[in-house]
Amino acid sequence: MIAPSKDHVSTYAEAPKPEAFDVRILRQDAPGESPKWERFRIPYEPNLNIISVLMKIAAMGKNAQGKPAPPVAWDSNCLEEVCGSCTMVINGRVRQACSALVDRLLEDRPTEIELRPMSKFPVLRDLVVDRGRMFRALERVKAWVPVDDYLDRGPGPREAQAKQETRYPLSECMTCGCCVEACPQYTKVELTREPGETDSQFEARRKQAFDTAFLGPAAISQAILFNDHATGQMQADERMEALTGPGGIQVCGNAQNCVAVCPKSIPLTTSIARAGRQATVYAIKKIFDR
Amino acid sequence: MADSSATPALPFLVRHEFLIRRLHSLSGLIPVGAFMCVHLLVNSSVLNSPETFQNNVYGIHALGKLLPIVEWVFIFIPLLFHMAVGIMIAAGGMPNTQAYPYGANIRYTLQRATGIIAAVFIMYHVFHMHGWFHFDGWLSMAESVGGHKFRPYNASSTAGAALQNPVILVLYAIGIIASVFHLANGLWTMGITWGVWTRPAAQKNALVVCSAFGVLLGIVGLSALAGMYNVGKGEAYQAAIEAENRMYEARVEAGSVQPNEHKRIEERGTRSEE
Repeated sequence: MIAPSKDHVSTYAEAPKPEAFDVRILRQDAPGESPKWERFRIPYEPNLNIISVLMKIAAMGKNAQGKPAPPVAWDSNCLEEVCGSCTMVINGRVRQACSALVDRLLEDRPTEIELRPMSKFPVLRDLVVDRGRMFRALERVKAWVPVDDYLDRGPGPREAQAKQETRYPLSECMTCGCCVEACPQYTKVELTREPGETDSQFEARRKQAFDTAFLGPAAISQAILFNDHATGQMQADERMEALTGPGGIQVCGNAQNCVAVCPKSIPLTTSIARAGRQATVYAIKKIFDR
Repeated sequence: MADSSATPALPFLVRHEFLIRRLHSLSGLIPVGAFMCVHLLVNSSVLNSPETFQNNVYGIHALGKLLPIVEWVFIFIPLLFHMAVGIMIAAGGMPNTQAYPYGANIRYTLQRATGIIAAVFIMYHVFHMHGWFHFDGWLSMAESVGGHKFRPYNASSTAGAALQNPVILVLYAIGIIASVFHLANGLWTMGITWGVWTRPAAQKNALVVCSAFGVLLGIVGLSALAGMYNVGKGEAYQAAIEAENRMYEARVEAGSVQPNEHKRIEERGTRSEE
């Protein structure tokens, strides 16, 4: 993250700051258990972010009532808004915890910060969710350029600079899940393991459930990214098959929340409309080129 | 999926989801949306005079025995398809305007809400004016519960008289506004769905054009409603009936219309509506 500028520091200093603030967290012990709210009281310090708040909670070991509380579980990795693993719902809006600054959050709501896990994925524990469906969606649309080979096929097709520039923003996607969390068409798929079911049986059942559910904006945009790539284009029809299959581009309802919440400002709705255009052409081609 | 040979076959609606959704999108414009534009424009011709509207209705009924086929194939069946798929779509979404109160998201929710309002309204409207089915037994039942009010050869007077109840009038106004919004916004989303406008700037421009279209069509629709309402009461009502009867007799005499009492107001003197 960019360090706060001098201007910001001075405005923070001017605004009255509380001695302490509350953090309300929707906690869940394990998959399938019922969630419950727990409140923590954090002494105010300047320049906190949500990750440092969660670290403080872990160090305190007690909730706002002073009762012992196990540390809140959360995911995080890069701490600079490029990995997407600390995505959660903060004050009702999905975003990364690492770039959610407490001083800013207290400007909106002076006494309390609310943390919830993303609602579209199965909760593993507290704020940790299983985003497996998003990664499965990338597999479904073959979001890669297949270049693994023993043969030397020579140089690939030439890439125009302009095309590279349109592709670059799409390549910034970190599969964080903000777009699908905000999408009203993306609904949760959560399976519970049946008694006696093996790991591989459960995994197969899970994949099957994912494969007819909505791909979501991130995967659609990745399909467009690789359809735009001169080498990736060679698999364009396979990607279009996935995009026009069950749970494909047609599920989009054009609410356009995805582009509004994307932390990387990826033009997701442009990708979706372009996928729509490619699907139109692909479907017509499929009817008449039989 | 290519690697799904071992997995069981998917249900029909899932397998053909893309085609069904695209047909739903298409049917909203052609024929359903296009019909609504023509319908509201023809109805607004009553603002010129009841005779103008009556002439337009004769134009439509010039299809004679083919009219029910045209109605069912090009209007009712596509409309019912659009409604059925639309209800499934609305049921499959989880509106979240509270957490994400953005313009397009609000329109997303409104699109579903107006779709359901329009579906309920249109089912009522077609029953109220047309009666749904034209079998004698059914029609007398429909008439006993306030349906089948419209008579094509007494077009303005019967339509106007049927709108005199203020509750029905308000219901029609709501129904027209919901339907017009649904079409105008549906046109905008259709442009994205089919890939006509892809970039944010193009989508913004398209939204301006679709909004202008919606406002204009809304004005046409509500004016048509007001025009019908005004023809349905007082001296205008009597004058309209006289004009319509005169036109009917002249047409029958000229041989351009087959005598058909089913398409006329009942001979019970002047009907005392409500």
